[in-house]
Amino acid sequence: MTASASTMGTSPEAGPAGPATANRLTAHQLTLAYEDRTVVDGLDLEIPDGEVTVIVGPNACGKSTLLRALGRLLRPRGGAVLLDGTDLARIPTKKIARSVGLLPQTPVAPEAITVADLVSRGRQPHQHWWQQWSAEDERAVTDAMERTDVTALADRPVDELSGGQRQRVWIAMALAQETDLLLLDEPTTYLDISHQVDVLDLVRQLNHERGRTVVAVLHDLNQAARYADHLIAMKTGRIVARGRPEDIVTAELVHEVFGLESAVVPDPVTGTPSSSRARLGEPRRAERGGACGAGPKRGVAEAGHGPKRGAGRSGALLSRAGARG
Amino acid sequence: MAYLCVGEGFVAPAGAVKAVLHTQWGLGPATPNDLVVGTLRLPRMTLGLLVGAAFGIAGALIQTVARNPLASPDIIGVSQGASAVTVGAMTYGIGSFTVLPYLSVAGGLTAAALVYVFAWRGGLHAARFVLIGIGFAVALRSITHLFLTKGDYLVAQQAKVWMTGSLNGRGWGEAAPLGWALLVLLPGVLWAARAQRTVSLDDDTATALGVRLGRVRLGLASLGIVLASMATGAAGPVDFVALLAPQIARRMTRTAQIPLLCSALTGAFIVVTADLLARKLFAPTELPVGVLTAAVGAPYLIHLLLSSGGRGRKGGTAA
Ligand SMILES: Nc1ncnc2c1ncn2[C@@H]1O[C@H](COP(=O)(O)OP(=O)(O)O)[C@@H](O)[C@H]1O
Ligand SMILES: [Mg+2]
Repeated sequence: MTASASTMGTSPEAGPAGPATANRLTAHQLTLAYEDRTVVDGLDLEIPDGEVTVIVGPNACGKSTLLRALGRLLRPRGGAVLLDGTDLARIPTKKIARSVGLLPQTPVAPEAITVADLVSRGRQPHQHWWQQWSAEDERAVTDAMERTDVTALADRPVDELSGGQRQRVWIAMALAQETDLLLLDEPTTYLDISHQVDVLDLVRQLNHERGRTVVAVLHDLNQAARYADHLIAMKTGRIVARGRPEDIVTAELVHEVFGLESAVVPDPVTGTPSSSRARLGEPRRAERGGACGAGPKRGVAEAGHGPKRGAGRSGALLSRAGARG
Repeated sequence: MAYLCVGEGFVAPAGAVKAVLHTQWGLGPATPNDLVVGTLRLPRMTLGLLVGAAFGIAGALIQTVARNPLASPDIIGVSQGASAVTVGAMTYGIGSFTVLPYLSVAGGLTAAALVYVFAWRGGLHAARFVLIGIGFAVALRSITHLFLTKGDYLVAQQAKVWMTGSLNGRGWGEAAPLGWALLVLLPGVLWAARAQRTVSLDDDTATALGVRLGRVRLGLASLGIVLASMATGAAGPVDFVALLAPQIARRMTRTAQIPLLCSALTGAFIVVTADLLARKLFAPTELPVGVLTAAVGAPYLIHLLLSSGGRGRKGGTAA
């Protein structure tokens, strides 16, 4: 397939995803606020079971806020998050922790902690006061460390690792928790491109092989489109579009959400939609500015003739080249 | 051991052992050293060990909760609250010596509760907690001095010695209740050692792991405050032990959280060593042990204050 600059046909905004079968994690009329500032107002949401859901949107539009609420780290001002139909506020927090794992955007490790020690803390919700460490715990930790490729780092202090290694350790901790639902807030932020792909492949694999439901916040629309079964595009606390990426990612959507002019082309390798210029600059910049959708406006349609370096990664390279242009 | 042997007169180690055996368990013959070693030094040492251990654990717990080494019970007003109440009671002759330790615990808890209430602003921030605690500590110290100047000269003199933290003339009477209390609180301390593993993570990560942070922190802090107040009741506010012991222990073990057992041992070692020096350094004049711990602790506190600019910001919310 050649990468021509043809935009995908506009599809109507997809309604609430999936059939009305009961998904495990849902939100109903969710209102989220910090002190006097409302970030999300009256939002309804269903996280499809057994799929990878990716949330995208400009900085400060409320992605982390929403994810924290889904993981009961933030108490809703109004409405509720339901797990298996029960309000999270009514479920013992330790019980939630056996079903829902969450990796915050910027977790902080205790000083001098070793990799193995940190990963082992992911077992906390499965431990009891009468049993400190079981064979099951050991297996889960070993498995999580192998999957994230940090086994060789086991005895190293976390604060001496590179940003990418550290991020993988945190992911290992979240994996060690072995929950059916896993919420990840920008798990690829500190990683170089090849590790980003590794992490996202790992997420896919967890989903495929173990049927885990994953919700990830990503800042790269192309990656989001590539890895999501279900994509949620947010802007200023609202959901602008949701559905299968190939159904909803259009130039109009990219323009509406990110304020960017772009062309959307099918990814030359995977066939998922790929937007030039959809990457949001440096993910940590202007985090506090509240500048929703204020990305650089100078956009030109750039069709992808980026250098190809290995199958499956060309789309990422393509968008990267575009973003820096 | 050295503690038992060294003093105004030196007692050979073998003699000290004999004396201990005889006075404590009625083993072996009576020796001339029985009085000095068995009746004076042994109880005093035991008290020193217990006080040091209690301060060490208390400091470790409160520093863990606040994620800030400055948040020691002797810095944030707990010891000062205990002192103010005890000295007040001494001055006005309220309560006998047997109830003083309990009054002291009440004073420490009250002071901590007040700091907590004043530092609360829709949430609790470690830095604000420490600052308000320091403010309270200063205020309580002045109140204590007010009591001292109001009181009878002899009582004031006695209270002054108590206030610097002294093991002089103390023994089983103070050591036994403290020992029992430590024993009773042991399950709590074991729980705390486990709870530390998650509390030392950041708030979001710990909550995601199913930890009820608010309750766990409250539990850890209360345990620390009770321990510090009881130790203060038994020996007066032996300054800086609660600040120093956990920090030394942590540097020695290089663990991810402040090790409780090691903090207890370090605290015990600091107090007993300091008391030994206090007895010997200017003999025959005995210094209160608190003078020595302060001499070591104050420079370290200044070091912490100077370097806390960066670290204070990292500390999350307290209790
Ligand atoms: N702890 C907080 N207190 C107050 N405001 C916050 C807090 N966290 C986030 N916000 C605000 O809420 C809005 C949404 O933030 P966030 O959910 O982190 O955005 P995103 O993850 O999409 O970049 C931003 O305007 C941000 O400034
Ligand atoms: Mg965010």
